Amino acid sequence: MSEPGGSQENPRMDLASGIGAELVEELRTTLEKAAALLHVLESNLQHVPPQPDGASGEQRTTELEKRLERTESDVAELASQLSVSERQTSRLMNLYVATYQLHATLIGEEVEDTIAEIAVNLLGAEKFVLLLKADEGAGHRVALARGIKPGEHPLYDGGVYAQGDPMVDAVLADGVLRLGPFAGSPALAAVPLKVQGEIVGAIVFLKLFDHKPSLRTEDRELLDLLSAHAASALFAAQAFATKERRLRTLESLVKLARGE
Amino acid sequence: MQPRKVLAVDDSKLVLKMYEVMLRDYAVVTAADGVEALTRLAEHPDVDLVLLDINMPNMNGLEVLDTLHAQGRLPGLAVVVVTTEGGEGEVARGLGAGAAAYITKPFDGPNLLGLISGLPARSQS
Repeated sequence: MSEPGGSQENPRMDLASGIGAELVEELRTTLEKAAALLHVLESNLQHVPPQPDGASGEQRTTELEKRLERTESDVAELASQLSVSERQTSRLMNLYVATYQLHATLIGEEVEDTIAEIAVNLLGAEKFVLLLKADEGAGHRVALARGIKPGEHPLYDGGVYAQGDPMVDAVLADGVLRLGPFAGSPALAAVPLKVQGEIVGAIVFLKLFDHKPSLRTEDRELLDLLSAHAASALFAAQAFATKERRLRTLESLVKLARGE
Repeated sequence: MQPRKVLAVDDSKLVLKMYEVMLRDYAVVTAADGVEALTRLAEHPDVDLVLLDINMPNMNGLEVLDTLHAQGRLPGLAVVVVTTEGGEGEVARGLGAGAAAYITKPFDGPNLLGLISGLPARSQS
């Protein structure tokens, strides 16, 4: 729920944020019921009335202890499932928000900013570059470089990446995402950007923040998402910019023809 | 869990969107820099939790903390610093400036929610 002056409600957000939430709520309810049952069992155990037959009373106690043991085991299992579900929900939320933001604009610079925000805030990247296929000629232009000091990675200096990093070159050639270590490459990961099978660039991760020691298993999903969605968002932005340019040109020509 | 109104301060639209989705059980107000954060706090005096980034344009998070401290607002506000700055010096500076907790990005959603729900309710100043 947002306040005036704050953020806006969005039905799509509710849809995605509800992913897994029902499961988590169900598990939480079941967990609470199990805890209540455990409490009742413990209470019953403390108040078992003396049995006329000693042997049957002992059997009942044994049975109750077994049920208590099973219930405790169920509680532990449910707690574990709840934790897994919460993590799953969090992971899906990250993927949803990343996708949402990538496609929230048709302005190329804003798409590039979002790519950078995903790299920094969701993946923990301190140093990375975004390479895009040059409009003319061979090679790739460095559309975005974050955290890199001049001369630190000379291959990306001057705004152009020709060739030279074996991992990056391989990714740009075959479009397969690669994670380091890779012989002869300082990169941690190179993510191809593909639109309809065409490789239009790559994101090269060169260093993570010190408090993020390595890329985790769940990060792979974000890298895959970037590979598909970052490219299509950039492509849509470029198409929109081209359309806008043509529209302005046509408007100018019409005005000229009218003598305005 | 205490009902709270949360002010989320970050210059990243992505992070603000994450807070919106994650904190759906809370009233959420957002700000994109330190100056806007202070404006929002004046507009919403019932905010009792601030999620505060450090590196922001116009006024950074530490300057916001210093301002809140100088205004005597911190006893009524729980401020959680959420930033990419993870060095020991930065953590000490943030906590020393009055933050209730300091966590680094990328943050773990369930852990952040657990931290928020575990913060003691504070009296309004």
